[in-house]
Amino acid sequence: MLEIKDLTVHYDGAMALNRVSLKVEEGEFVGVVGPNGSGKTTLLRAISGVLMEIEPGKKERPSLSGSIMFNGKGIDKSKAWNITKMGVIHCPERRRPFAEMTTLDNLRMGAYLRKNRSEIKKDLEWVYELFPILKERARQMSQTLSGGEQQMLAIGRALMSKPKLLLIDEPSLGLAPLLKEAVLKVIKEIWRSGVTILLVEQDVAITLASAQRIYILAHGRIATQGTKEELMKSRDVREIYLGL
Amino acid sequence: MVTTYIRRAYSSFVAHVFDIPARLLAFLLFLTLLFIPFAIQNTYYLRILILANVLAIFAVSWDFLVGRTGQISLGHAIFFGIGGYITALLSSSKFFGLPIFLTIPIAILAACIIALALGIPSLRVKGPYLALVTMSFPLILAALLKWYPLNHIFKGEFGIRGLPALVPRLDWMTIGQQRVGEYYVTLILLFAASVILYKIANSKIGLVFVSILDDELASKACGINVTKYKLMGFMISGLFGALAGCIQTHLLRFANPPMFALTLSFLPVIVTFLGGLGTIYGPIVGAYIYYILDSYVLRDWLPRFLKETVGVTLPPEFDFAKLLIFTLIVLILVIKLPRGIAKFTTDKLGDLEEARDLDERGPRIWKTYKKKEKTTSTGSEPTASS
Repeated sequence: MLEIKDLTVHYDGAMALNRVSLKVEEGEFVGVVGPNGSGKTTLLRAISGVLMEIEPGKKERPSLSGSIMFNGKGIDKSKAWNITKMGVIHCPERRRPFAEMTTLDNLRMGAYLRKNRSEIKKDLEWVYELFPILKERARQMSQTLSGGEQQMLAIGRALMSKPKLLLIDEPSLGLAPLLKEAVLKVIKEIWRSGVTILLVEQDVAITLASAQRIYILAHGRIATQGTKEELMKSRDVREIYLGL
Repeated sequence: MVTTYIRRAYSSFVAHVFDIPARLLAFLLFLTLLFIPFAIQNTYYLRILILANVLAIFAVSWDFLVGRTGQISLGHAIFFGIGGYITALLSSSKFFGLPIFLTIPIAILAACIIALALGIPSLRVKGPYLALVTMSFPLILAALLKWYPLNHIFKGEFGIRGLPALVPRLDWMTIGQQRVGEYYVTLILLFAASVILYKIANSKIGLVFVSILDDELASKACGINVTKYKLMGFMISGLFGALAGCIQTHLLRFANPPMFALTLSFLPVIVTFLGGLGTIYGPIVGAYIYYILDSYVLRDWLPRFLKETVGVTLPPEFDFAKLLIFTLIVLILVIKLPRGIAKFTTDKLGDLEEARDLDERGPRIWKTYKKKEKTTSTGSEPTASS
């Protein structure tokens, strides 16, 4: 479904990603783990096309080379909204709900590109089913939600766009361990409903517990990849990258 | 048939206006504005209100751009001036001599296209830089209009004069009646402009604007074409800014370079902060406060008051002090009442509404509540869902 070949990203001279190659098959749950500054967020931004538009008009734009293919189509040159239209939905880091809107409006914004009202309504019900707390908070300004609720809102908003491939950036950021697990559980549920998921995480333990296949990103390179068992087999990988 | 229609209109009025204190207040203010010409016979005072209407349209368009789409423009005079000059050129008997009901729409559309052309380069910068870039546009155009080789078209500093009036004075009309006509035309246009902008701001497009204002990256992740919407905001705002310029041109019957002056760029800022940013109704209140302060209190009442009680005649330099006074007022407002006068009032009224019990609300809701109580006859306390 998603195929990245030799993706290299520079920020104003500094290399963020170095010849990253990655593959996600349809219906897979792939995790990417790595420490701070290893290029995880950059990777997702490059896929969703937001990367090239972080600072519009700035002279020092990030430069990108390599290829990103989604369902056999190159998307590395596409605009962010076109990529979203294709069904690659980015759930950004630090949640970023629209603070000045109610929860319901936030979810409605997620369905911005869709026209079919009955389907949107069905998806809204589905999101409410996954996160019952959002239904309670529907009329509340999203800036007054707690961190966990905001994370659920961000995922819910991404779901409202009817994703084929869902890119989730650090859902566990700043959440209590119990909440982390709850959010991960819902992400797994979303995956079981047929959405392909590419999860980027710093928390190795919960990623290992839920993802089918895991890439380890370090200093902008893919250090290694494999299933949980494969990774746990190698002592070096375990000690250096996973810290287990 | 007719009675049911009237009843439905009445009940929707009660539910949407009468029950909500802020809207009731707005409705009463609107009624006041509607009947003011019957109370004021003085043509000078009526003139002040007419100009306040024009400024209100202009300020509402600025408020829409800055308060709703978050693009700070300090050069809004460009739309005002462009609208004014285009309709002046087209309607002037020396050039084309077209009737004004044709030239005003043409001028507005042209300003819209120019807004698009100016928007594309200015969207490459953000925040204070955008404010500075937009500020330069009207100054450049003003210089161009005063440029000597173009004097036979634009008549330089003198401007294009002798234009058809907004409300032509027919044989049987007195000046006062003409003023009343102008007042109603501007009031209707103000009402139309603010209702349209309010509707846009509260539609799906308005929601997109808020999302871009909140978080551009997240908006892009939702699949929103941010550039398109920013330009759309620019164009909508430019459209109504140009409308204000057109109206003023035909009210005063001339267009001259000061229409592009910095003062005109800053006036909507002052007025909007007086009323409340991002509210649409705020600038209208602000425009009236501004004109009443500027043209009545400071120009008329204060010199008379000082002359009669203290015996001091104000020097003509007092005109410059007015700007200082307004700066002071805005400064105090920004510190003490950052939401603006109108927004502050409606917020207070909104608190009042929530504090009231469900029982005490207006007729319709009260009745339905009572009916429910009768049918269920549980008599349970209404629980507020938060």
